Amino acid sequence: MGTFDQTADGDRYVSLHNSPEFRELRRQSQTFTAWVSGIFYGWWFLVILLAAFAPGFYRQDLVGPINVGLLFVFVSFNLVVLVSSAYMRFARTRLDPLGERVRADLEGDAR
Amino acid sequence: MTGFLSMPHMPPVENTWAAPAISVAVTVVLVIVVTVVVRTARESTRTPDGFLLADRRVPALQNTLAHLGAFIMYSTVIIMVGHIALNGFDALLMTTAFTIGSVLGVLIYAGPMRNVGGHTIGDLFVLRARERPARIASAVITLTTYTMFMVSMLAAVGQVAVRMFDTGSEPNMLLGGLVVLVVGLVVIAWVYMGGMLGVTRMLALKTVLMGAFVLVLTVVVLAKYKMDVFGLLNDAQANAKPDARGFELLDPGRQFGEGSTPLSDQDPWVHVSKLFCIAVGGMGMPWVFMRFYVATNARAARQSAGWASVIAVGFYQCLAILGFGAVAVLGANNFGMRSEHRDITFPKLADELGGSWLSGIFGGLALISVAAVFAGLLINGVTSFTKDINAARGRRPEPAAELKEIRRNVLIIGLVSIVVGGAMVPLFTHIFIPAVVDLGAATVLPAILYTLYWKRFNTRGLKWTVYGGLAVTLLMTVFSNGVSGAPTTAMFPDLNFKLFDIEPGLLSTPIAFLLGYIGTVTSDERNDAGFAELQVRAFTGATVPRRKSPVAAAGGAGGQDRGSPSGHRS
Repeated sequence: MGTFDQTADGDRYVSLHNSPEFRELRRQSQTFTAWVSGIFYGWWFLVILLAAFAPGFYRQDLVGPINVGLLFVFVSFNLVVLVSSAYMRFARTRLDPLGERVRADLEGDAR
Repeated sequence: MTGFLSMPHMPPVENTWAAPAISVAVTVVLVIVVTVVVRTARESTRTPDGFLLADRRVPALQNTLAHLGAFIMYSTVIIMVGHIALNGFDALLMTTAFTIGSVLGVLIYAGPMRNVGGHTIGDLFVLRARERPARIASAVITLTTYTMFMVSMLAAVGQVAVRMFDTGSEPNMLLGGLVVLVVGLVVIAWVYMGGMLGVTRMLALKTVLMGAFVLVLTVVVLAKYKMDVFGLLNDAQANAKPDARGFELLDPGRQFGEGSTPLSDQDPWVHVSKLFCIAVGGMGMPWVFMRFYVATNARAARQSAGWASVIAVGFYQCLAILGFGAVAVLGANNFGMRSEHRDITFPKLADELGGSWLSGIFGGLALISVAAVFAGLLINGVTSFTKDINAARGRRPEPAAELKEIRRNVLIIGLVSIVVGGAMVPLFTHIFIPAVVDLGAATVLPAILYTLYWKRFNTRGLKWTVYGGLAVTLLMTVFSNGVSGAPTTAMFPDLNFKLFDIEPGLLSTPIAFLLGYIGTVTSDERNDAGFAELQVRAFTGATVPRRKSPVAAAGGAGGQDRGSPSGHRS
């Protein structure tokens, strides 16, 4: 675990880090994370900024006691469910198989 | 400091809900049940990793439930219900912040943390920075968080005692202090006996009980309205506490509007900053990270975080129903009508719907629930104190000696906590919870994001982002309205040296990111191999088997259980 343990182990990680398999894994993982968290957090920051600075917009009634603000809260809640389950699915079906190939490569070679 | 012991912060309120006899009976039963459950975990505490990490073999369901325990806390349940009843829409927005924050755990923290293995965030930092500063940074973050959260949890124990185990209208501080002492000692005994596995089972149990209680209450409220949510919301709107500025319960404004924060001109930024900090920092809790380390592998850690996040959404929606339901069912002027009384709304609703049986049961549940969270905190504090400090000092104790050290630390840290936390119970220490959340945003988040994703990051960057974020946050907290300058809610209400009403994290988080950047680029240190190792390990869980040093052997323990060929994982 020593950081400056630049032995063959360190080189192994570096070469793996540059391998096409790992690059593909990292690209997929980071693309998903960046887009999803960008959109998701962007939406929610918009929701709270509207509440703070455009409360009139939220006070418009829709159905019965439900106004635009309550609708946005409901959407935000359910986006959490959507994003969490989408990431669990994405990681299971896309990232895990890639990761296992990289790992088999590293640990297989070392044995 | 006058009026220190007379508790100016908790104005008297007629206690119509407490059923101490039932609460005591329920508590005794629960203590027996928990003790039995914890005893079943005794076998797992024979080695250091068994004691601290349950040998990373916590089953997925148990881990999900224990993880969920971080959301289904007494404080969130009781405060948020009262908050929604009082402040409506703006408080509801705050409940979404908790769930939004949980996504960070799923997307960023869970998988990499489990993959790198280890016991604390220090195990992540050492791959990017020199060992000693990395370990010290981890210990400082973890132990600061521990201390603040521990004080708040013990205060919450006192609060439960005062509200649920006593029927006086004035808070009975003697009873509160006594209960803190007894509960604290019981928790130390539980942690000593059952280690991490015991704590996990305890947390899972309290989550199930508390979750079931909230669910039952929600169903009863909805049944009362024959599932007519619109009718319930209309009644809530009609019975709401009138707002001097004319803001309706279901509209934004009660927290955002001008004049929401006493003696301040910083609205609406005050409430915006609170929401921001919860969403960004709420997951950055070292004691929550323990849930990732104990999972069987990265996928299990991710699934636990993900399912906890999904279930938490349902749970917080129940809290929303209960908050508005309390106003609708209890009627005007009959729930907690001021912010200091937010914690009576939920027990009053329970009492109204189910009589003294239901509120009495809640009293016992609440006490065990806070106790379990304290146990989860304690084992996290002990882990960092043992692992980080030993590593920083370059000590590598033998397993048997380390186990002794761990057990001794449980007793020492536990007892010191009871003394410190108990002494602070008479103070209004609610400021510590937001302060911890700010630290999650201003130290943990930047340090981990840089560690995982920035190739250039190095020791100085880590130090600057952690200590810079910490210093700015704490300095701003000292000059915040939680410490002085607010007549009813400050720790020292008679003093006024406040400068900030906004939550420090709103400023300290970007500052910490900036400091981490400047610190990194002004240092020549650069370790591309360390970055390669970190990313490969964090994103794949792969490790090169090492045989050289004893540290590697300890680190390899994380590798062994995931080092099995891929075919073993379905």
